[in-house]
Amino acid sequence: MHMNISSDVMRGYNDTIILYFLLEAPSYGYEISHRIRELSEEKYIIKETTLYSAFTRLEKNGYIESFYRTAENGKRRTYYKITDTGRQYYQEKCAEWELTKEVIERFIHQI
Amino acid sequence: METIKNYLESMFAALPNTPEVLKAKYELGQMMEDKYTELIEAGKAENEAVGIVISEFGNLDEVADALGIETILQQQEPDNMPLLGIEEAREYIADAGRTGFLIGLGVLLCICCPTGAIIGGVMGNEVAGAVGIAALFLFIAAGVGLFIYSSVHMSRYDMILKHRCRIDYGTAAWVNEQRDSYRSTRAVFLAIGVILCILSVVPVSVIGMLEQETEEMMGFSAALIFVLIGIGVLMIIASSQRVDAYNKLLNLNAPGTVGSTYRGSGSDDEVYYENKAVDGIMSVYWPTITCIYLIWSFLTFRWGFTWIIWPIAAVVETLIKRTLGRKIS
Repeated sequence: MHMNISSDVMRGYNDTIILYFLLEAPSYGYEISHRIRELSEEKYIIKETTLYSAFTRLEKNGYIESFYRTAENGKRRTYYKITDTGRQYYQEKCAEWELTKEVIERFIHQI
Repeated sequence: METIKNYLESMFAALPNTPEVLKAKYELGQMMEDKYTELIEAGKAENEAVGIVISEFGNLDEVADALGIETILQQQEPDNMPLLGIEEAREYIADAGRTGFLIGLGVLLCICCPTGAIIGGVMGNEVAGAVGIAALFLFIAAGVGLFIYSSVHMSRYDMILKHRCRIDYGTAAWVNEQRDSYRSTRAVFLAIGVILCILSVVPVSVIGMLEQETEEMMGFSAALIFVLIGIGVLMIIASSQRVDAYNKLLNLNAPGTVGSTYRGSGSDDEVYYENKAVDGIMSVYWPTITCIYLIWSFLTFRWGFTWIIWPIAAVVETLIKRTLGRKIS
């Protein structure tokens, strides 16, 4: 069965998803959106506006930092890199998810 | 790619021109461009790629709190701000251009009105004189008729221009392009118009220097002054009206919003007066000058001299605007 995930459900976990990619290496908007699509096997496609608002929120809270880098084709891109508080926040979010998953699972059963 | 760019510009058109908003627009544009490029490289048709990019863009409400524009998005009532499309803009400019010509023609007729009387006068017989006087009133009547027709015809656009309404980015870009390409035509019209006004006195002075000048020749060359000035003024008015129309459309987008990238330059000239008396006088300034001109001219019949009121009036108007007027923006 093919199903798209509603953005409402994902709202609380967009931050976690973005931070997950930034744990490895700094990245920029489209690369992250592309990799989310890839890793979720096209089951979750993040909207551009969702992604951008997540970036500004994460940056405001000090979880990521932005910097500019010029690509080979001369285009200037905004890159984001994770901070130490960002790593900490990511771990908290992972723990929170484990708990959430465990609780929600108890209410799910096949009819 | 152009469609995507226009889409993004339209989404941002009504937002304030702040660094946060511009940054968001730039970043979102980059993401859309990257996605579009990749879809094209993957072999998608252009239309399909544009469709996917736009459908996956999302909603501006989401970035609102990141930009501090939440209140603005809520204040915005799309129903109260109708968007002017390119067809309506095209129609308005075509109409404004046409009526601009008619107004110019009306002014031409008013300026030329004494020619009949002058020629009739020098012909020396009573019938010609009577016809000349009749022509004077006919010309004025026809000219005024054209003014009334033009203002009634253009009043149907009052709703559009005086009520709050915006033009979308694509239309603004189109209007701006049209205005730019009209600039050289306008310069030629303006130059020829001014040259005609200056040269209008040449025939009469040349004939005045001739030794065997006749009264008829003097009459005809005097009449020619009015005709030449009339044609010159027609060219100046017709081309100005068109430029005005472009500027009016471009000024619909509120200053300080992203949509006002293309602003009409005409906005700099428009002023308002705080003093109610001055405001009242200035609102009837040009009709008053016209009346003074006509009364003075008919009483003294010195048409060759009374025209001086026009340049003086223009200088006085500029002085009043500069000293008492305040800029609208």
